[in-house]
Amino acid sequence: MAVAVKAESGRVLGILLVFLFSSCQSLFSGGDSYKREVTMQLIPNPSSPPPGGELLHARAVGGNDTLHFLFCSQGAPSLLIVHTNSSSSTVKVNWPQFVNRSTSGGLTVEPESSILYSSAVVFSRLLEYDDENNTAEATSNFFPAYELKDFSWNLMNLSHPKALLCGSAPHSSNGSLCLQLSVFGTEGRAELWPRLLHSANSSQVEVWLSGLLPRSNTSRFMLELQAVGGAYPLSKVDVRQFIDDEYAPSIFKVSQWVSSVNNSSDVLGFIQWKPVAYRRSRPSLEDATPCRHSDPQAQSGNATTASSALVKAFYTDPKVMGMNVSFGIAGDPFYNRTMFLSWTMLVGVGSPPVDSFSPMVIGILMAGLGIPIVLLLVGGVYVFIRKMRESSETSYQPIN
Amino acid sequence: MADFQERRTLLGDDDECSFAGRPEARGPGRPMAAICDPSHLLHRVVVLVFMCFLGFGSYFCYDNPAALQTQVIQDLNLNTAKFMQLYAWYSWPNVILCFLGGFLIDRVFGIRLGTIIFSLFVCIGQVIFAAGAWGNRFWLMEVGRFVFGIGGESLAVAQNTYAVNWFKGKELNLVFGLQLSMARLGSTVNMNIMGWVYSEVASAVGSSGYTTLGISLMIAAGTCVFSLMCALVLGFLDKRAERILHKEQGKTGEVIKLTDVKDFSLALWLIFIICVFYYVAIFPFIGQGQVFFIEKFNFSPAQARAVNSIVYIISAPASPILGFIVDKTGRNVGWVLTAVIATLGAHMMLAFTFWNPWIAMSLLGLSYSLLACALWPMVAFVVPEHQLGTAYGFMQSIQNLGLAVIAIAVGLIVDLRGYLVLEVFFCACICIAMMAVVALYFVDYLKGGDLNRSAAARAKLQKETSPDSETKMQPSMMTQGEHARLAPMSAFGLRNRYLSRLGAQLPDHCSTHLSSLAHRSVLK
Repeated sequence: MAVAVKAESGRVLGILLVFLFSSCQSLFSGGDSYKREVTMQLIPNPSSPPPGGELLHARAVGGNDTLHFLFCSQGAPSLLIVHTNSSSSTVKVNWPQFVNRSTSGGLTVEPESSILYSSAVVFSRLLEYDDENNTAEATSNFFPAYELKDFSWNLMNLSHPKALLCGSAPHSSNGSLCLQLSVFGTEGRAELWPRLLHSANSSQVEVWLSGLLPRSNTSRFMLELQAVGGAYPLSKVDVRQFIDDEYAPSIFKVSQWVSSVNNSSDVLGFIQWKPVAYRRSRPSLEDATPCRHSDPQAQSGNATTASSALVKAFYTDPKVMGMNVSFGIAGDPFYNRTMFLSWTMLVGVGSPPVDSFSPMVIGILMAGLGIPIVLLLVGGVYVFIRKMRESSETSYQPIN
Repeated sequence: MADFQERRTLLGDDDECSFAGRPEARGPGRPMAAICDPSHLLHRVVVLVFMCFLGFGSYFCYDNPAALQTQVIQDLNLNTAKFMQLYAWYSWPNVILCFLGGFLIDRVFGIRLGTIIFSLFVCIGQVIFAAGAWGNRFWLMEVGRFVFGIGGESLAVAQNTYAVNWFKGKELNLVFGLQLSMARLGSTVNMNIMGWVYSEVASAVGSSGYTTLGISLMIAAGTCVFSLMCALVLGFLDKRAERILHKEQGKTGEVIKLTDVKDFSLALWLIFIICVFYYVAIFPFIGQGQVFFIEKFNFSPAQARAVNSIVYIISAPASPILGFIVDKTGRNVGWVLTAVIATLGAHMMLAFTFWNPWIAMSLLGLSYSLLACALWPMVAFVVPEHQLGTAYGFMQSIQNLGLAVIAIAVGLIVDLRGYLVLEVFFCACICIAMMAVVALYFVDYLKGGDLNRSAAARAKLQKETSPDSETKMQPSMMTQGEHARLAPMSAFGLRNRYLSRLGAQLPDHCSTHLSSLAHRSVLK
């Protein structure tokens, strides 16, 4: 038995060591300690109120680089990220040119040579389809799409470091589509699920649809996203399995739409999300609904520049990839059950953040595996000592 | 379903036969047909069929929520915490009833009336449960599960009492084995058929929803009605046999004295800890396993139900085989430690890998069967015979308490923290069980190592101490507790006696009336 126990303890010890190692690794590598100073302001427009929409500028200044986040409601809502290698780079806006949308150059980042990477995401359309057969396969039965560039967008509501933009469909006051941008100075997670891990190199956009009247009782929705880049647009979506679902219960995947140079493993920028949407404003497990995405497809840059003033102003020759995110799978409740859908994504530069186990999980495992082993060792030593003492005390042998 | 039809016709036939047999019985001189003669094997086989199906309904319906987890949650708009309440409500009454089941059967109702009453509880409970679903009243469903729980566990005791009463002697082990297989069959069939029933009802009704769920559960209640009919027929046949053979009504022989608790040894308390913390990582996990497999491993609902039921399927053949191995080798503590470590491995696989869950669930099924074979008999080693009833009652009571509490905790954890934390929680429970096993090993070692002795050493000891066991027949100055320690002979006999609960193959003379104490939780 003693041998068996030893062999078993050896095995357990092996497992423990693996865990110790992996947890240390995750503790060190997962902890992205890079910090940025975040400031957020609306770029003043000489004509007030601004025609067509506002432009928000969030500056995240690091040690020797700056991230510029530009969030614009002129046309379809768009978010532009520009990464520069200088901590003093600035954004210049030529308002007449910006509003005019005839030529690019209405928005520039100076000095231009400092730009390392730029990428934009345009929330172009909201699609609604009638899912009579409850298959969640959006092939036909589409209602006319909501063009988000035609929405009437309210003024942005700033509460540092967040900006909230809500709009409603034209000729309708019922319901709204809101986008909330958060820019971060440090690593962390949001309060509400899906609690994506963000770093100082990413921003979070939460999109929610609230109270918009569906055009049928069996309506489901899709959101069309367009990723815009200069040389390297976001080209492919990786779906990674991840064993830790503690921040978004029952979701074991993370999807990331990345841009890479010639299919190398270096990632320049990303959009990351968990394939889940929530049907209530307070997310909970029973209100989670899975999301799916289509394969990104190249689209014409002209349509995008026509819908987004920001893209037109910054990019001369934009490369555009489009993708749909559809909410709900076969059998899930339809939109009209709660009249609410929310979905969250990260937009950032560099590699997407990699999640790791929480200290609680690691702690429980360490204690759970460690205590029996300690018990085994202490008990073994005690028994051994006792046996030694006994054998030294009893000096006689039984006769038979 | 075809099987049911067959049984029903069998039942009909038998009724006719029995009624025909009654006047014959009055005429003492006339010989009876073999199938109607209570002392004949053929008649007992017919009785056995009813006996096996007596528990079928309750086993079938116990895991109804697990089999229809996605539907229950969606149709009634529940969260996991509320869903798991359905399991908790089943366990609550049994915290008390584990002590009372035997008493009620022996002293209050008698085996026949008791069985019918418990079957009625099961039946009515399931009907209330289904009605609650039909009317979209969740509280009513909880009431239904509570009533169902009152009947379910005690029915298992009644079933075993019948088995002992009719098959004392030769065939008893086989009968226990069959009943065990029947229990597994009920659980497995439920897991794999309820989804199909639901979809059929849904297509008949026109849409899914709580009405469909209610109707499906009502159909499931048919198995309980069927079991109730078995109880009635059994009662009739038993009464008839009593009249013809002048035999006594069956008794559980359960004696429970709560004051015995103060005499329980440290080793017994450690066994209790192992029992509670081990089983809470099995049953609540199976209870909500379906959605876990769907969400994490992208299984279809049918696949998820199948993999969820593999634990039951494996344990049916594995229990007798492993029981035999444990019996031949001894070293129970070592086997328990092996089982606990294997279970920990299985849960870790489910928690930290995306490996096909068939691997982990099969391992879970094996280790769970091994633990049952090695753990439950150990109680008989550390408790004197007259306290065994109390010890087992107490063990099952706290096991049910643990199951109820953990079922609620499991639901909350899934809702708030997700499945990884849930699996880590189960691992932690198993680790606590493991600590108790390690502690038990040392406690036992310091006491002389009864529990972990090999079978050969036990046999040797038994031979050496056989004069002692003869003196035991005479009034002794020693207390019963000392006796149990000094007379391994009796412990050995008792261990065999309790092995029979698990459907293990035993020498025929080793089974006694006490085997009937087994509750559902033991048999599972």
